[in-house]
Amino acid sequence: MFARIAGFELRYQMKNPIFWVAVIIFFLLAFGLTAAPVFPLGGGNVHRNAPVSLMRLQVAFNLFYMFITTAFVANVVVRDDETGFGAMVRSTPITRFQYLVGRFAGAALAAALAWLVIPIAMWFASLMPWLDPDTLGPNGIGGYAYGFFVFGLPDILVTAAIFFVAATLTRSMMWTYVCVLAFAVAWYTLVSIGTQRPEYGDWFGIFEPFGATALGRTVRYWTPAEFNNLLPPLKGVLLINRLLWLAIGAACLALAVNRYRFAEAGAKPDKAEQQDEPALESDASAPLPEARPGSAAWAQFRSRTAVEMKQVFRSPAFLVLMALGALNSGLGLWFGRDLFGTPTLPLAHVVIPVLRGSFFLFPVIISIYYAGELVWRERDRRMHEIVDATPLPDWAYVVPKTAAVSLVLISTLVFSMVIAFGINLGKEWPHFELGKYLLWYLLPVGVEMVMYAILAVFVQSLSPNKYVGWGVMVLFMVATIVLPLLGFSHNLYLPLQTPNEPLSDMNGAGIYWIGAWWFRLYWIAFCIILLVVSHLLWRRGTETRLMPRLRRLPHRLNGSPGVIAGLALLLFVGTGTWIFYNTNILNHYRTIWDREQFQADYEKKYLKYVGLPQPTVSKVVLNVALYPNRIDALIHGSYVLTNLTQAAIPEVHVRTDPDLASSQIVFPGARLKSQDDRFGYRIYTLDRPMQPGETRAMAFTTERKQVGFRNSGNDTRLVTNGTFLNNFEIAPLIGMDRNGLLTDRARRRRYGLPPELRPAKLEDLSATAHNYIHAGWTTSDITVSTVADQIPIAPGRQVSETVANGRRTARFVSNVPILDFFSIQSARYAERHRRYKGIDLTIYYHPPHDFNVDRMLNALQYGLDYYQKNFGPYQFDQVRILEFPDYAGFAQSFANTIPYSEAIGFIADTRDPDKIDAVTYVTAHELGHQWWAHQIIGADMQGSTMLSETLAQYSALMVMKHLYGEDQMRRFLKDELDTYLRARATEGVEEQPLERVENQQYIHYNKGSLVMYLLQQRLGEDAVNRALRTILDKYKFKGAPYPRSIELVDAFRKEAKTPEQQQLITDLFERITIYDLKAIEPTAMLRPDGNWDVTVPVDTRKYYASGKGAETEAPLRDEIEVGLFTAMPGRGKFDRRNVIRIVRMPVHSGRQSFHFVTGVKPTYAGIDPYNFYIDRNSSDNVAPVK
Amino acid sequence: MLELKDVSHVYPNGTRALDHVTLSIPRGMFGLLGPNGAGKSTLMRTVATLQTPTEGTVRFGDIDVIADPERLRRTLGYLPQDFGVYPRVSAYDMLDHMAVLKGIASSGERRTTVERLLVQTNLWSVRKRALAGFSGGMRQRFGIAQALIGNPELIIVDEPTAGLDPEERNRFLNLLAEIGEHVVVILSTHIVDDVSDLCPLMAVLAAGRIQLEGAPLALIEKTRGRIWMKVIDRSELEAAREKYEVISTRLFAGRTVIHVLADKDPGEGFAAVEGGLADVYFSTLAQSRRAA
Repeated sequence: MFARIAGFELRYQMKNPIFWVAVIIFFLLAFGLTAAPVFPLGGGNVHRNAPVSLMRLQVAFNLFYMFITTAFVANVVVRDDETGFGAMVRSTPITRFQYLVGRFAGAALAAALAWLVIPIAMWFASLMPWLDPDTLGPNGIGGYAYGFFVFGLPDILVTAAIFFVAATLTRSMMWTYVCVLAFAVAWYTLVSIGTQRPEYGDWFGIFEPFGATALGRTVRYWTPAEFNNLLPPLKGVLLINRLLWLAIGAACLALAVNRYRFAEAGAKPDKAEQQDEPALESDASAPLPEARPGSAAWAQFRSRTAVEMKQVFRSPAFLVLMALGALNSGLGLWFGRDLFGTPTLPLAHVVIPVLRGSFFLFPVIISIYYAGELVWRERDRRMHEIVDATPLPDWAYVVPKTAAVSLVLISTLVFSMVIAFGINLGKEWPHFELGKYLLWYLLPVGVEMVMYAILAVFVQSLSPNKYVGWGVMVLFMVATIVLPLLGFSHNLYLPLQTPNEPLSDMNGAGIYWIGAWWFRLYWIAFCIILLVVSHLLWRRGTETRLMPRLRRLPHRLNGSPGVIAGLALLLFVGTGTWIFYNTNILNHYRTIWDREQFQADYEKKYLKYVGLPQPTVSKVVLNVALYPNRIDALIHGSYVLTNLTQAAIPEVHVRTDPDLASSQIVFPGARLKSQDDRFGYRIYTLDRPMQPGETRAMAFTTERKQVGFRNSGNDTRLVTNGTFLNNFEIAPLIGMDRNGLLTDRARRRRYGLPPELRPAKLEDLSATAHNYIHAGWTTSDITVSTVADQIPIAPGRQVSETVANGRRTARFVSNVPILDFFSIQSARYAERHRRYKGIDLTIYYHPPHDFNVDRMLNALQYGLDYYQKNFGPYQFDQVRILEFPDYAGFAQSFANTIPYSEAIGFIADTRDPDKIDAVTYVTAHELGHQWWAHQIIGADMQGSTMLSETLAQYSALMVMKHLYGEDQMRRFLKDELDTYLRARATEGVEEQPLERVENQQYIHYNKGSLVMYLLQQRLGEDAVNRALRTILDKYKFKGAPYPRSIELVDAFRKEAKTPEQQQLITDLFERITIYDLKAIEPTAMLRPDGNWDVTVPVDTRKYYASGKGAETEAPLRDEIEVGLFTAMPGRGKFDRRNVIRIVRMPVHSGRQSFHFVTGVKPTYAGIDPYNFYIDRNSSDNVAPVK
Repeated sequence: MLELKDVSHVYPNGTRALDHVTLSIPRGMFGLLGPNGAGKSTLMRTVATLQTPTEGTVRFGDIDVIADPERLRRTLGYLPQDFGVYPRVSAYDMLDHMAVLKGIASSGERRTTVERLLVQTNLWSVRKRALAGFSGGMRQRFGIAQALIGNPELIIVDEPTAGLDPEERNRFLNLLAEIGEHVVVILSTHIVDDVSDLCPLMAVLAAGRIQLEGAPLALIEKTRGRIWMKVIDRSELEAAREKYEVISTRLFAGRTVIHVLADKDPGEGFAAVEGGLADVYFSTLAQSRRAA
């Protein structure tokens, strides 16, 4: 019986159009995403069809697939009531179990069958000839089967059971879908918090219903080799997660069977009390008031809008959506953005993008959902015949419905602002900046919301039913996300899209709002046309087909609809033309394809010149006139070029930014051999080749400006307040380098380039002729002028400042050698100075942002002390930190000048002394660069950034260690370890050992920190600093040959005293070494003398990894800390008092045990308790003592 | 007042719901009688401007209904066969909203209208209750209340008594009778008694065509002496159908009462009966079936 019911249900559902719709949609989606080379499946060296790549996509589909599954299983419950067939079915002798579970099984089976098109489509897509074979691996059946049995089938069963119980309890399709929506939003919230709080990753992994997080946890530190060859082991978090959710699914099914009643639900008693007031005294014979429909328009509009709004506000789904929206954005705001755990102050320009990101989804769901509900409401409620027969004019349907949705949306926006203000109060930051919220949030987003409402109403008024309308809107939303990825990025044809408007406190909305509002006006005109068309095509009466309505349309255009549509069309075409003129004629519109093509062509044409001997800029004179109010900069300058090579130079290659408005170069004694304006590449043939040591002069004039507005990429460097330019952006460069070329292997192959663009090998001594930023040592004389109320700054000592004709001019001269790579800044700054041991420390900041200025000064002071004492003297007599707008989130060190983003540090919330002090950390890092980059700089080859970034990290770590003690360091190191391990999985080329780092950030920053910290633990801080000094002394301010990383490694080797230390240096710098250190059930036994016998068994191993992540075990022989504690290190209030003993013990590969006798019973024990070593499972180093 | 000329309607699926319907309806109650599926609702909706007929003209006074539906709607009251209500809205609020839709902009006039209609339809005591909780009769009375807003000249009520219990039906018909004196009221129904109780004029619609038109009494008069009745066993029914033109059968105390149409006494135990409107109706239906 059961099987027959299930079989009937399966056949029934397979005849359901939803089955075939699901098959088609998911086939297309899965095929499209797998077969489109632009979709980043796999990535880096991970194959597109690697099992985990496919599983990740499948699991992502499962979130959407639950809407289909729900349609199947809810139909089981609801259809008998809807058709009225229920009474007949339920009066048969069938049992509740057979009836429900039989049907459930059939429906879930149908859902699972339809799901199978996803792996089939993926497999089919992986055979497509246009896919780059290097991005594909063998198609193993195992991966597909694993995906189906571990994710597909369980996810379907679980969601089916959950929404089956929802349908059983609510007996309503609508309410079931509200539950689905609530589930989706709860899922989204959980996942977003999960990504913000990786420390609770395992918990999120267990509770995330689809298994996506659990899968992510399992493969989080996987290398490309593992991704391409392995299936995730079904154990740990993944296994627990799958079992837990299957159990939840079973419980839901049991609940559904238990709560289902065959009997009809009785009507609820009417809650309104009977009125017993006397009947109204009314003269029934008097005539009723007459209707005057012609003059009732305003009343009709108001009343209709009010009724429609009430329908939304009073519908429980709205409350659910609002609550979820509040939860999502509230959590997003509460955790906010942070920097190494230091929160950011909730200023308007920080909060608004978060609100737009986290809250925007809900109004959009509301507009899509309620547009469907409202447009179809009369029909759904069977009121349409009554209402349509009234003299209500046609516009009084469309306009009030749109207005109602819009007003609801705007009130949700206001609500989100209230949440934001509440969060501000919770963060003890009672500043609300209402004006900014109004101009940057309520107004633009409100307008966008109204446009979404109009679009959704338009789609609904055209579609044959509301489900089709919803589907079209969802497709539209997906398209607006996917199309830009495919290179279709012009906001003129992406409906309702506007250019990005970056916000900043320093520069407000800049000039970015201008273009955005032109686009908004353009789309408003578009929406007015849609509104008129919706009005003209409105379904009135019982005719629902589109064609008859379309035939009536031209006739109905007569009169005001035609006039309004005509005016709107005029506005649409007019603004569209103006926008096109600005984005495509005054400025260049470039798609991602154009940009990649540009990079590829550039490389094909000019990379061959990269090693060509070229003269060095040895003196630069620059006059930069900034006109920040009209986004214009005029640059005059001259170079003294010196031939520092050993050979004569016959040709000089000069590059300028091709986006400059103009560039002229005067090069006496040289003839222009070729000029390529597309790439800004000029080649001069010298009349007489430059001999070694000879100098020449070159003069130039350039202009950088922005006219009008762009579709994207408006200038965020040259801005009204807070300009930050570097000389590469405004002045000529000498010679070719590798910067800005394509690096992704798949992309390179697509453009017919060799698969890899790699720096020179460490062994290639010819590469020491250049340093890695291709800028030599020079002296400078830089004059910057700007408007009088701004302060202009460039590297060097300020020798003059004058104000005349509304302009302020300052001249900066440096006779100390600086790199020919420097910054030009200008803003309305406040200054705070501190004189410290003959050095002037200055912070230039946006006047309201004085929160952390003293902290920065302290960090500079402390850093100067440590660095001067341990590395060598500081080369300038001033250090300047200058704030720049929140358009980028970095700080960058130029000679005695450190541009420092508004986003990091200046508005960091450092009120909680327990949080990591990221402001001091970043400041110390940048100050460190005054030695490591601005005194010595690595050769343009592998390992170059180890001499700057890794050493700046080390410098900052030492400052932090001495300021805050080692306890704080552990939190840093753990963060660095996690970032390093995760980033190496996405490596696109090949992971390198530290000494061969190819500008890979996860290596030179994150691994570099770990390496240097362990090194100074083992060799001693003084020994490490001694080694650093030797290399500094040798190369300070020296030109070619520039230093190589191995010279520093050799210096460390000279400090190493034991074979273990030598081995450690090999492992840290020359190999990719991964340790696996773990404690196995330590025990403690009470001795007769009252002491404790403690045994700590450990399993320790060491592996060498290849660049692609394949690991081979290597013998471990080292002395590693073994510790006994009374609390778990790194948790809660763990500090020095919890340490019973920590000793370095000789350790070899494999298992071994350590024995201790202690007076106190330890509760935790383990090896490498502070995570000095790179260990893929750093949480099993310490275990509780039994 | 209301003139339909050659009105035909064919649905997209090919169903011919109306087939050259020509009717002339003066002031007063007009009954449109027909079985389920005869095209009554199509006709009602066509007159109520809710759908455009495939061909034909509809005029109300000087209004061309098809070309200018907006004008008719200003003076139209319509109670559809089947209608729902918005959830969570009370009778008072809904009627008030309908009054706005009908074009009563002033809130004072609206209050007068709503209150008086609620009293008139005997819904005053339940005006604050949600419409969704109304019984069938209450809901129909609410339906007529909204149809009466703004003194319409043309009132269309489509199958209003279906599903009402006898008491509710009486109450409803009384209400209709009150208003049916000065304006055009079209009442469509498949219940003969509704028409015979209320309407001075009627038509029978079957298979999309007007089969019969006139005053009920005159129509009954036409069948005088042509209706014969006999009580038979159920087993004899087939034979009777073969032999006579049986227009209706009903069970009475376990036996079957048949009415037949014949110009003279068929003998064989048939007795003459005084024909009612029901016999007129059924004989018309029987003829139309034969013709088809």
